[in-house]
Amino acid sequence: MISAIYALALTTGANRVVRGARIEHVCGDPNLGPEKDYAYGMRIVTSALAALTTPVAGPTLFDPLAVAEKADKGSGHAS
Amino acid sequence: MRLELGTFPVRALSFGDATRYRDGHLEVDREATLAEVRRDSRIVEAALEIARPGESVRIWPVRDVIEPRIKVEGPGVCYPGVCGRDIATVGTGRTHRLAGMGVVEVSSVNWHDSGGDFVETYLDMSGPYAQMYPYAALQNLCVVVEPDRALNDEARNDAVHTAALAVNDHVAAATLGLTPPEVQEWTLRPVDPALPKVVYIWGVHSPQAMSGSMTAFCTATYGLTRLTPPWLLHPNEILDGALSGPYRTAFAMSWTVANNPLFLDLYRRHGRDWNFLGVIVLRTEWTTQHEKLLTANQTAKLAQMLGAQGAVVTWDAGGNEFIEVVRTIQACERLGIKTVFLTSEDDATEGAPTMLEPLPEADAIVSTSFFKNRTLGVPDPGPVDRVIGLPDKMVNADQRSNTGGGRDKKVPTRGSLPAPWRYDDHYGFGTLSCIE
Repeated sequence: MISAIYALALTTGANRVVRGARIEHVCGDPNLGPEKDYAYGMRIVTSALAALTTPVAGPTLFDPLAVAEKADKGSGHAS
Repeated sequence: MRLELGTFPVRALSFGDATRYRDGHLEVDREATLAEVRRDSRIVEAALEIARPGESVRIWPVRDVIEPRIKVEGPGVCYPGVCGRDIATVGTGRTHRLAGMGVVEVSSVNWHDSGGDFVETYLDMSGPYAQMYPYAALQNLCVVVEPDRALNDEARNDAVHTAALAVNDHVAAATLGLTPPEVQEWTLRPVDPALPKVVYIWGVHSPQAMSGSMTAFCTATYGLTRLTPPWLLHPNEILDGALSGPYRTAFAMSWTVANNPLFLDLYRRHGRDWNFLGVIVLRTEWTTQHEKLLTANQTAKLAQMLGAQGAVVTWDAGGNEFIEVVRTIQACERLGIKTVFLTSEDDATEGAPTMLEPLPEADAIVSTSFFKNRTLGVPDPGPVDRVIGLPDKMVNADQRSNTGGGRDKKVPTRGSLPAPWRYDDHYGFGTLSCIE
């Protein structure tokens, strides 16, 4: 589940919770402008897909920004 | 801060050749009142109608109900800040109120067109639904107005509410120079230090996130509705209308805020049963987890700095705002401040909790019932003899699945209508008992 109010998603028993942006725009941020909004949205969706393939023992939070930073370091190019 | 509140009970309301109050009878000069409304050139249609308790009358759409109040002595004006009114700090001097009546704001203007917040309230002056609201027991002066359609949402909201406040000012001015039949003095006098210290945390919705606007119209603190840190208000400021204006539920109206029985009882019993510290207005509908937790923490911190040992908490909405409200309760309890929460509940369906985020710290809750009328089994209100306002109303095809603004078909307002979809008694007005 992608949620801006991720603590609620965790307490209601969703196993894989991805931290979304805001209630009014969960998968991006129009204030960033079209290109960066798209990149941010891709980070969120990519980390949601990664979460699906990650085994979890119980409700677990996935933070797209943390995941993306790690990926950036590994691949060596900026987002 | 000391306020004398003079009460003029209105037991009869009629149109007359002058606006005057005498022995419980308020006469209203229709043309003089409408002239006050028409001073604002943004208003293109204006009418005044009277609706009395027990009449077969339906008022639609109801945006707000206002109790007429006017400042007689002391700084500022009643209902300050809103629609550009004076923002001098209110709560001292003398104020007059016309009790038992409402100025009903009737217009097709919606709060904003960004979805989610609909003007959906209609009022019946008789029948089963009338019993559910306090307004059907009032003598109601209805201000039916339409502003220039070329204006934007916010200007139209401002124009319509300005019109209702113009009527408030005009009729309340009838009490100037008169001796109130009843006067009560309100002050937070020093009390026995052994009494428990109690604060009222009063959650009010902000339309900012939903509307995308900093100045969208809603329940306002001195006219402001934007997302702001918690406000500390003296209870006298509330009595002068520093917190006023409506939200989408029928219980979130200026009249209901001004007559909030929970607030008034907290204040009345100051010095007897507890030490009432004041009101913290908690602005709700922040839109990230961080913001919600931050506002909850800061509200609890403010209560702690006031020395609160107990907090009574209410809110006026029905969605994600619950998070910052219940997290405020949690934050208070963690600081050692005992809380009591007054709230309506969602449907108890399919094993889901009746509150969005049940937390163990919220363990003292007063329920004002389920908010969905489908659950309550409220019958559809039948036809009425007279309609004040719009002749038609949009409803959903499946009348029992109403989730807000109707959109499927147009029906005559005077015929049978689906029961309003929600019944959120935010402040404990209700007198209905449980089905046993």
